[in-house]
Amino acid sequence: MPLMTPPIGSQLVDLGSALLLLTCFAIVAQRRLSACVDLFALQSVFLALTATLVAFLTGIHHIYIAATLTIVIKAIVIPRILKKVIERLNVSRELVMHINVPASLLICGVLVMIAFLITQPIIPFGHLLTRDSLAIALAIVLIGFFTMIARQKAVTQMIAFLVMENGLFLGATAATYGMPLIVELGVFFDVLVAALIAGIYTNRLQDTFDSVDTAHLSELKE
Amino acid sequence: MSDFTMTIAVSLLLLAPLLAGGLSLLLSSSRWLHVTNLTSIGTLVAAEVMIARSVLGQGSLTAFGEIIYIDALSSVILFIIGTVGLACSLYMRSYMDEQVARGVIAPKRLNLFFFLFHMFLLTMVVATVANSLGVQWVAIEATTLTTTFLIAFWRRRESLEAGWKYLILCSVGISLALFGVVLMYYSSLRVLGDVSSALNITQLQQVASQLDPHILKLAFVFLFVGYGTKVGLVPMHSWLPDAYTEAPAPVAAMLAGVLETVAVYAILRCRGIVDQAVPPAFTGGLLAFFGLVSFALAAFFILLQHNYKRLFAYSSIEHMGLAMVGFGIGGPIGNFGGLFHLVNHAFAKSLAFFAAGNIHRRFKSVEIDEVHGLTTVLPWSALALLIAGLALATLPPFALFSSEMQIITALGSSGLPGEWTQPGTRFPIVVLLLCSLVAFGGLLYRIAGMVWGVAPKDIVPGEQWSVGHVPIILLGAVLVGFCWALPPPLQQLFEAASTLLVNW
Repeated sequence: MPLMTPPIGSQLVDLGSALLLLTCFAIVAQRRLSACVDLFALQSVFLALTATLVAFLTGIHHIYIAATLTIVIKAIVIPRILKKVIERLNVSRELVMHINVPASLLICGVLVMIAFLITQPIIPFGHLLTRDSLAIALAIVLIGFFTMIARQKAVTQMIAFLVMENGLFLGATAATYGMPLIVELGVFFDVLVAALIAGIYTNRLQDTFDSVDTAHLSELKE
Repeated sequence: MSDFTMTIAVSLLLLAPLLAGGLSLLLSSSRWLHVTNLTSIGTLVAAEVMIARSVLGQGSLTAFGEIIYIDALSSVILFIIGTVGLACSLYMRSYMDEQVARGVIAPKRLNLFFFLFHMFLLTMVVATVANSLGVQWVAIEATTLTTTFLIAFWRRRESLEAGWKYLILCSVGISLALFGVVLMYYSSLRVLGDVSSALNITQLQQVASQLDPHILKLAFVFLFVGYGTKVGLVPMHSWLPDAYTEAPAPVAAMLAGVLETVAVYAILRCRGIVDQAVPPAFTGGLLAFFGLVSFALAAFFILLQHNYKRLFAYSSIEHMGLAMVGFGIGGPIGNFGGLFHLVNHAFAKSLAFFAAGNIHRRFKSVEIDEVHGLTTVLPWSALALLIAGLALATLPPFALFSSEMQIITALGSSGLPGEWTQPGTRFPIVVLLLCSLVAFGGLLYRIAGMVWGVAPKDIVPGEQWSVGHVPIILLGAVLVGFCWALPPPLQQLFEAASTLLVNW
């Protein structure tokens, strides 16, 4: 593979990763559900751009396929599904939060530091052009994980899951120049089906509980 | 056997559930749905027998240009998938038909049920035979997606809740495992270069000792947390009791008996690679520690249960913890014990859930306090419940006793791995024995109350013979039989698999 590592390219990839992280914070701070979906779509676009950049710099062609799929599935199809789900719901905002926005943002800041700390010992081993992205990817995964715990609406939890998936994909693209194509296709398929299933669930939850607040899901207890 | 026969056997393994799943959506009569189901699972078992024989004779095999990799360990897992799947299929013949007859589900929804059931089987088979760790991840995530609607199949409030919880918790857990896979790839790229086979087990095993230990350690932690969620290890277990309670009985049996086993298998596969670069005490310590914690906590939760399906769910966590302890200690006895425990647990737990399904249908309640006098109401199911209960409490004439003894022997002779225990300390073994005593008491007390006593007046006594009783009798016989002697081919297979686990 033609491994050009111009510093400018490396910095551009870092910029793309940083933009992804920034949208993560925006999602955490956002209360309106439809805005969260838009932000997720924006994040997916950044992800696709970063992936295209990596593909261009390294000359590995199958990353282009992954970038195209990211645009189609994560920036167009899944946001549409989520928007449809939200339209059917009687609520458009996250009203009750376990942890308020400023505190959430602070915690996310700490998570970013933890991510850099964890990956510190292994980053020097990467001779690749984008090794810092691994830390950012882990940070995004952790923030997604946190959002899932901190938010109650089924839709927000789904977005948090998708954000985690974006983080993983960034890790896979930036740190390892993409996983084997068969794996990448499988992951896309799984994510798409997961989003569809979650959509069906929110409809059923809405019909049965008259709410998609997962706090109502508390009948199964010890 | 030639390569050609093996290719056919492997294709049958994958095609049988795929075709049956497709057919299930088209057929309209329940009789044909069951025929398709039994034919497909029968084919699956036949293919497995052929593959296992070849693996025993000629060692591991790869097929379709190294996409498929099967060795003795995967053959054992395939054996569990096939046998438990067959038992469930026979049981479903009477179980699902009765649900349709009673009007619990519309006849049309049977199609969906069988479709999802076959996809569930397919994803588990793929997860077991895949050579690439990435494909294995994709398949395990797909098991989550196929089972979530099976868990929520009755569409009651509680089942929707259980299904959603399962979907979210397991998807998140599995995402962490994907990060582990990415890290694994990150480390192997530096040795193997950017080739699509850099995640293949066959490739990784050859170069494992050259991989970077720091990256592998981090990768294993993520993989362990991710797949551990699927196994139901404490503290990632909270989805498990809900899912097992709400799922239809045959699905609960598959989840408890097979899905957990496949997740354990995924952990063991990764461990086999990590252990070559990192001292085995690292992975072994993690496995044994979380196994012991799960075992101990689940034993106490068993005491608190008022719902017999939850009782069995916690007993699942307990036994998976015990098997993990076995694998964590390692060595010939520990690994054999762990593997044998997985098999025995799969049989005992399916038997338990079949009995629980029969009881639930008659008593319309999952509360232990509302079920009494099973000996008069459902004599066969009472016997099944008793056998399953005694086996799960690891009493002597049942197979789980012998595997638990092996694990305890291994613990006694080698002690826990890792730096956090002194060599030769008796503490872990005392904890293990005390907790198994607690679990034993809890299980027996609850089950004795259900089996004996005076039946409530409004319950009709009498148990009609049905196809669903065949697997119950067979499983009971196997549980007793495996305590005394393993059939020689099976013993060879288990020994080959544990040898593989000892020295990768």
